[in-house]
Parts: sequence; structure tokens; C-alpha cells
Amino acid sequence: MSSSLPEQTQTPAPAGVFTLVITGAPYSSQAPQTALGFARAALAANKRIDRIFLYGDGVHLASALSVPPSDELNLSEAWAAFLAENSIAGVACIASALRRGLVNDSEMQRYGLPGSNLRAPFEIAGLGEWVDSAASGSRVIYFHKGG
Amino acid sequence: MRALIIIDQPPYGSWEGREALDMALSLAAFDQPVALLFCGAGVNWLRKGQDAGKVQQKSIERNLAAAPIFGVEALLADAGACDQYGLAEADLLDDVCITDFGTELTGGFDHVAFAG
Amino acid sequence: MTPLKTLHILNKPPDHSRYRLCLCAIGPEDGLLLTENGVLAVTWLADINSERCFALAPDLEARGLSPQISSEQIVSFEDMVDMAATAEHVISW
Repeated sequence: MSSSLPEQTQTPAPAGVFTLVITGAPYSSQAPQTALGFARAALAANKRIDRIFLYGDGVHLASALSVPPSDELNLSEAWAAFLAENSIAGVACIASALRRGLVNDSEMQRYGLPGSNLRAPFEIAGLGEWVDSAASGSRVIYFHKGG
Repeated sequence: MRALIIIDQPPYGSWEGREALDMALSLAAFDQPVALLFCGAGVNWLRKGQDAGKVQQKSIERNLAAAPIFGVEALLADAGACDQYGLAEADLLDDVCITDFGTELTGGFDHVAFAG
Repeated sequence: MTPLKTLHILNKPPDHSRYRLCLCAIGPEDGLLLTENGVLAVTWLADINSERCFALAPDLEARGLSPQISSEQIVSFEDMVDMAATAEHVISW
């Protein structure tokens, strides 16, 4: 409203903090691409993104080992670059990740696995990270597989 | 914040229902009010007498029975979906509340989410 | 436009079970945003209160569907962010 009182116009806008939850896997859903389009637009509009949470099949986005053909977008790489450039946490749910063969070095050692494949800066953590976003009043937007 | 986690996928054919239950239990573990809603083919999670071992999976029946103990406020099932899958009240696990899916139901929660 | 009570983000085509579920949950003060294959619903719009129904531009364009919907209903990612930030609630179907 243009007639707002001066003190109101000086008050920062209500915290526009988003958490994006991606549950659709790259190359079997459009979810990671739509989420990236949303995330870029959110930052361009001066909103903050507190974290990206990968859940279910979405954890495949954090794989360092996916190698799409050279004329296709490498979604894992694109997301990792976006997170690093903007210092946004990317968290893969540990239960979803372990089930689907996505591990970091400490999980590799714990389970005696032949390798690890988590792409930096993604981290592995529990659902508590998602609960924290939801409970702290972040606007949580989910990106599921389509159909 | 009151959360509603919706399960609309049937059991055993995907991990989505199991992962939705994990979401609800996590919210409850952190003392966040949460209810679980089964609708569409998801109501088949609630049928008594499942033997998940026959497909080398774990039964979710015990987890669902324990959900209220862990703080999940309600297990809700959509009436229309129960009819569609031939589930009368007596066929459902204990403590399931039959309700009608729609604006009024989802509008009562601050946070409505699916697992996938 | 008055702020939306709930923004429904729908990325499933009309023959998907969750598409029907979503339509059952849309209230009079809600808005519907079609994304990904959800935009295929623009050919089925008789279902939907069109004043509060929007579709994401890149998904429409990718599928050759922009001519099927009025330009006021076509939104960008920037608009999507704004709608998601200002609606009271958001549900992704």
C-alpha cells in the first residue's frame, strides 16, 4: 500500500524464508529442475532459502557418480554449484540415502562399503533437519515426481 | 503448527507410505502436532490381517498401532476410498477414524505434505 | 488479486489419481498453479475456476500449450515464488 506509515515501510518485509524439499529423482522426474528454477527465482526476489532437503528418491540428486550424456544438463552438478555459490545447505535424509546407496565417507567406514558417492556440498542428516524447517516457520515447498 | 501427512500410495509397491510414516513419527518425536491421512489406494495400509513377510517386507501394522503412543494425534481414513476398496470399519486397524477428504479437512492444517 | 488462502501446486496430468484429489481440496479462496505435466490440464479447464488457476510458463511453452490458456493465467517462476510466499498455506500435490 502506498499510503503505509513511514515506520511500516522501514520495517523489513516478513522473513521470506523457504525450505525446498525434493522427493523426485533426477532423470526420472522433473522435480530437481523445477525446484532449481524456483530456487533461483526466490533468491532473485531477495528471499532466503535456509536449506534444501532431499527425501525419498530425491536423494539421488546428491550422487557424485551420475554421468548424463554431455548434451544433457548434469542436475547434480548444477544443484551443487547453486548451493555452493549461495552458501545454502543441501541435506540428504540419511535413511532415504542409505537405502538407495548414497553414502558419505563416514557412512562408508561405518558399514565397510567399497566407496562413497556424496557430492559436496551436500551433507547427510536426519529428518530432524526437515522438522526444524517446518517448526521454525520456514515456508516449506515440496517438489515431488510428476506423472 | 499442525501438520497433516497424506499417504495415497498402496503398501509394498513403493516405499512412499513407509517414508510418509517416518515423516509423521519424526514430527511427533519433536513434539509437533501431526495427523496421518490415508486416502486413495493408500487406505490399503489400514487393512487388518496383512502378512508383509510374504513379500520380504516389514509389517507396518505394528508401527501404525504404535503411532498414537509416539504422539501422532490421529490416523484418518477417507470414507470414499474405504468404500472403493471394500474396507468396512471392522476391516480397519484399531484407532482409525473415518473422515471425508476435502477442503474442510486439509484446510484445518498449517502444513500438508506427501512423502513423494 | 486478494492473497490466496491455500496455493495448490499441481504437477500431475489430469488422469493421475492425485490430480483428482487436488481438485477435491480446492476451496473458494484458494489458487491452483499447474506445473510440469500438470499444465496438460489447460485442455481440461472446464474443471477449474479459471480466475484462480495459473500455469507455469516454461512448462506450457515446452509442451506447446501457451496458446491454450489466457495470458493473464501464465506465470513465471518469479510469480510462483511470490504466490508461494504470500499464500497462507501451500500444498504440493
